[in-house]
Amino acid sequence: MIMLLIVAMGLLVFLNRYAFLEPRLPLRLSSNARQFLGFAVPGMLTAICGPIVFMPDHQLDLSLANPYLLGAIVAVVLVLWTRSVLLSMLLSMGLFFVLRWWLNGAP
Amino acid sequence: MSRSAVARTAYIQGAIACLPLSLAVAPWGLLAGSMAIEANLTPLEGQGLSAIVFAGAAQLVAIGMLKGGANLFSILLTTLLLTSQHLLYGLSMRPVIADLPLRWRLGLGFLLTDEFFALTSQYDRQQFNRWYALGVGLTFYIAWNLFTLAGIVLGRNIPHLDQLGLDFSIVATFVALIAPLVRNLATVVCVAVALFSSVLFSYWHWETALVLAGLLGMSAGFICQKLTGART
Repeated sequence: MIMLLIVAMGLLVFLNRYAFLEPRLPLRLSSNARQFLGFAVPGMLTAICGPIVFMPDHQLDLSLANPYLLGAIVAVVLVLWTRSVLLSMLLSMGLFFVLRWWLNGAP
Repeated sequence: MSRSAVARTAYIQGAIACLPLSLAVAPWGLLAGSMAIEANLTPLEGQGLSAIVFAGAAQLVAIGMLKGGANLFSILLTTLLLTSQHLLYGLSMRPVIADLPLRWRLGLGFLLTDEFFALTSQYDRQQFNRWYALGVGLTFYIAWNLFTLAGIVLGRNIPHLDQLGLDFSIVATFVALIAPLVRNLATVVCVAVALFSSVLFSYWHWETALVLAGLLGMSAGFICQKLTGART
């Protein structure tokens, strides 16, 4: 039963991914549409991060004692400063787990 | 160089370009695997989610809903809404992928994740290399499934892996991808609007919070670019 659900989910996600890659779909992208889509990476990825950072455990938390917020700020600074995606990911993750342990006393 | 050697080189370059993201997805993959086990799914079902659905956020939400006893229809509807940003990615990649043969469209379409899009969307028709894209996508797929497997194995032995804050890995990854892109006013506006509205809409418990916030941010950036004379 669950396997059936998984296959159905897989089909839906694939449909979302494939729909506009189908050449028989009559559609031409104007230059405005292309400019708009140029904002897809910053716009969508930011929207995915927002709730994780500001709403850990589904509660709004705007304080600087929120390790997700501190970790994200540090990640921004690190990547702009070092220009290395890998280094800033590793360091900010490391810092996040230290902060979490230190601020929340969680393991 | 022969054509197959060129293809192999491009494939390997793509795989290497995707390595940092593939490593960074480890905590998120561990989470997907261990949560499936904690929700009483079988190891095969847990792995099947990663192998067939291949969409982290949708997998985690579906597992949470199964645990909470939600019905199948509402799980499927949520999956559709939660992964609708892929429509946008497909639209954006249409100029470079739609002309490829069917097996390439199906293959690259299946591999079209947030990370795949972030790494391959900047290429135009001349620069886009299908083998490079395949290297990016397959590497990420393999890494995602291996880390899910690790999560399944660990989840059976270590309880409460889901309370370790493993979801921060997605923030660390995406921030590292976004921050270097923010080089002009339009992108600043786009990111600010997307951030604010994603938090607001999630606070209001909208199912479509993420994709609406993303669209709003993109629109704001686009309008700003038009107003400032399309200087990039």
